[in-house]
Amino acid sequence: MATQQLWRAQLRSYPANGHTAFLPQIRKVVLEFCQHYPSSSNARTFISNHLERVAREHPHVEFVIRQRNGHEPIARGFYANGRDKVIPLNKLEVTGIERKVQLLMDSSGAKIKPLKGARTVESTTESARGIWSGMHVDTPFII
Amino acid sequence: MGHVSRRLSSSLAVSTAHLKHFPPREATLRTKKATFDPETWAALQPPPPSALMAFANRIGLRAVLTTPTAVQRACTHKSFLDLHARYYPLSPPPPNNANLAVLGNALMGLFASEHLHATYPHLPTRVLKAAVSAHVGPLTCAGVAQEMGAVPLLRWHRQPATPTSPALLHSEALASIPRALAALVYQERCLASARKFVHSFFLNRRVDVRAMLKFRDPKRALMETVAKFQREPPKSRLLKETGRFSNSPIFVVGIYTGADKLGEGFGSSLKMAEYRAAEDALHRLYLTRTPPHVLKLPSSTFGEHADIYKLTDAAPYSPGELGESEALYASSGRSGVLAPRRRAPEVES
Repeated sequence: MATQQLWRAQLRSYPANGHTAFLPQIRKVVLEFCQHYPSSSNARTFISNHLERVAREHPHVEFVIRQRNGHEPIARGFYANGRDKVIPLNKLEVTGIERKVQLLMDSSGAKIKPLKGARTVESTTESARGIWSGMHVDTPFII
Repeated sequence: MGHVSRRLSSSLAVSTAHLKHFPPREATLRTKKATFDPETWAALQPPPPSALMAFANRIGLRAVLTTPTAVQRACTHKSFLDLHARYYPLSPPPPNNANLAVLGNALMGLFASEHLHATYPHLPTRVLKAAVSAHVGPLTCAGVAQEMGAVPLLRWHRQPATPTSPALLHSEALASIPRALAALVYQERCLASARKFVHSFFLNRRVDVRAMLKFRDPKRALMETVAKFQREPPKSRLLKETGRFSNSPIFVVGIYTGADKLGEGFGSSLKMAEYRAAEDALHRLYLTRTPPHVLKLPSSTFGEHADIYKLTDAAPYSPGELGESEALYASSGRSGVLAPRRRAPEVES
């Protein structure tokens, strides 16, 4: 039987983020607000009073502020996998806005899949105790 | 959405706060030959300094990459120079990562080979080379660059294939970034720090080395290997069976050298089970792994000093055991490789 050749330039390894070094997946957070509408007033307060402190505490994130008049305030997070997450800020208090910005920074950017249902076993490694085998017990069942 | 519209969409537009001139003068010129391509202009602009420093913080190299210029150098591929010279012929060429990438590639190859050879002492040479490629090869480097978030910071220019060189791919340009970073760590700090960088980002990723071991005839390979170790010739014995003559039999076969079991395999036929048992025996030999606390890496003799030629007061180095090379059982050691058929040269009459 012929063996398949290994093409060395096509070989790759798969990520294990956090096993030694951890790379936060958040790249950039963009805060968009309107200068006049009252729905953006909490966002304006957050940007004036709290954003600098949050940005200094998280130097690995790029913070961008965009003025967008006539629109509702949003926070948009950009991730290393190329996806982005958008959170509206118009019905939140200032502390709520800080929590949503923290949520964006904690996320990995992966698409949220439902937990229940088809996702039964998720593992990249073999089971620690092995899978039970009826042939490897002391008295196997004989028909 | 195609890649062009995705790049030009408003959420991924080039930020302009850090640019000296915006809008660019070329865009508002009204001459007969006014040709302004916004996409090319966007590709030529540098990323904002905040993005570059955030990248340096994210990968934990803020102390090594102290200025945005250093980060920019690591993220500029040499293909960018042509594009830059075409549109800004009077300005000096921007610093690029070509030299750093070459040095970093050599360092990564060194660290990966010594680590894998010390971890798997009996691994066959071709598999060891494949494992090194899997750990620090071009696709892995491109993947690490993507996970670091370096994709929007990369400055490159797509180059088509020429008669002498293949086309430049995005993954190849991306792969130059982690290599350049490894070289920068070596230059700014020491070899030990560069080794720690490569171990953290590359040598702890998931690679299935077992899948790289392929056998043409494992029974014959095992016979030759056992003869090399001067043990009794392998003998396969049926250990357990069930369902013989039914539509789903299971046989469990063990391969023994004298009284020692070398490997075990299962199968729905006796031949299949014996084949798997021989494969299992060879896997148990080739994939023998040195525990991490016993691992001795040759580059540790260079010590922690920035100058590798300076003598260190480190503890005396005792090398790890050299493994046995694999037993070659086909002609010229090219077992399992299909050689291209050679046609006889046409004779001119």
